[in-house]
Amino acid sequence: MAYISMGEAHRRITDYLNRFSDSIFSQDALSLKQLISISSNSSSLLSLADALNVFQDANRLVKQSDRFSQFGEIVVPLLRCLQNYRINRLAEAYNSFEKSANAFLQEFRNWESAWAMEALYAIAYEIRVLAEMADRELASLGKTPEKLKAAGSFLMKMFGALAGKGPKRIGALNVTCQLFKVYFKLGTVNLCRSVIRSIETAKIFDFEEFPVRDKVTYMYYTGRLEVYNENFLAADQKLEYALVYCNPRSEGNIRMILKYLIPVKLSLGIIPKSWLLEKHNLGEYHDIVLALKRGDLRLLRRALQEHEDQFLRSGVYLVLEKLELQVYQRLVKKIYIIQKQKDPSKAHQVKLDVIVKALRWLEMDMDVDEVECIMAILIYKNLMKGYFAHKSKVVVLSKQDPFPKLNGKPVNS
Amino acid sequence: MATESKVAPTEETPKIDLFEDDDEFEEFEVNEEWDDKEEGIDVTQQWEDDWDDDDVNDDFSLQLRRELESNTEKK
Repeated sequence: MAYISMGEAHRRITDYLNRFSDSIFSQDALSLKQLISISSNSSSLLSLADALNVFQDANRLVKQSDRFSQFGEIVVPLLRCLQNYRINRLAEAYNSFEKSANAFLQEFRNWESAWAMEALYAIAYEIRVLAEMADRELASLGKTPEKLKAAGSFLMKMFGALAGKGPKRIGALNVTCQLFKVYFKLGTVNLCRSVIRSIETAKIFDFEEFPVRDKVTYMYYTGRLEVYNENFLAADQKLEYALVYCNPRSEGNIRMILKYLIPVKLSLGIIPKSWLLEKHNLGEYHDIVLALKRGDLRLLRRALQEHEDQFLRSGVYLVLEKLELQVYQRLVKKIYIIQKQKDPSKAHQVKLDVIVKALRWLEMDMDVDEVECIMAILIYKNLMKGYFAHKSKVVVLSKQDPFPKLNGKPVNS
Repeated sequence: MATESKVAPTEETPKIDLFEDDDEFEEFEVNEEWDDKEEGIDVTQQWEDDWDDDDVNDDFSLQLRRELESNTEKK
């Protein structure tokens, strides 16, 4: 740190305090946002932080002037946060930020117009990010990481302040999205439910009214929740919304949406074009799609094994595993077509033996009884139409549409 | 202080792993605007729902055919 004279430190702090109160008096949310975005590491905030560590008595400067002191409860802990943040005392920094954020929220409730919305968004973002940093610090010191949970409680309070009839309500979705990020990270996604219910059923909210960027984020997270709950039609609709309205330049986000949308589409019998996988670097799905097209059970198993960690971590493993039935369907269909080319009159009778042989070729050892069981499931799930001639160990396929396509519908459960 | 503490506890790291969501959506900038009409993604160009055709001339199907035929000969 370069040497800073006392006078210089004093000047920097006063300058900040002036800018802070100016931004509120002139209702300039974007300036205010810059002044509270601790984690932005902007050069002006960093040089202010250095000044604070030289001139230890900033409180006195705040108290001396009425202009500054009326925002004292926001700005004093904010400065303390910055000071701690600069010297890497992150749990301390978080604590101070939370105090400041509470005081800000108090003021915000009193402002009738929604002018400060962008500043409020910055606080919602900062409190989450600072809490994550603080928790990492606490965990590395062997202490209980608890700040992110606290940030979640604060964000719920913020949500409450926005969920009213006034113009501030359009901010509720942004705060909701920050809450989703907290809950997904903490692994407490069930806590999302109450905010979702509020957003989707409260009469004060009209979903179309919210900013696009928040709608996209919301649909991404609620889509992921639908994937976990295996509501594939709802997941499809939400993730597709996110994909269509996402900023096309936001490559990282598009890729994340597709990571979930692809397994969902596959479960509905819809496959991505290969350029889509290449363009977004989603090679892990390449062999799965190929397995589905071929009816290649061996390839499906290998692909699932190869990317097991990745699929388990994102929670799509179970969705992909269930594609097995569609791959069986495809394989039996191919056997049927091959038979038909040889002898159309007998094609609709498929011997279980033949399927056993095909599976053995695919390195899957199954006896006739096991295969019969799988064929029964295919029939039950309406992936195949027909019946068993149990004695002769033959599946007799329906002459009409023996392998119904899913056409965007989920497999019967 | 902070750097020291980072090096030490290797056993504790799995705990921190609990606080991971690999797929955290990136923040959009507040003033980030985009015209979804102009650059929006045409969903119909990305997917195929009619891929399940009757074509059995790909390598996999040819091998499957050979396999089934050789097996019937053995009988």
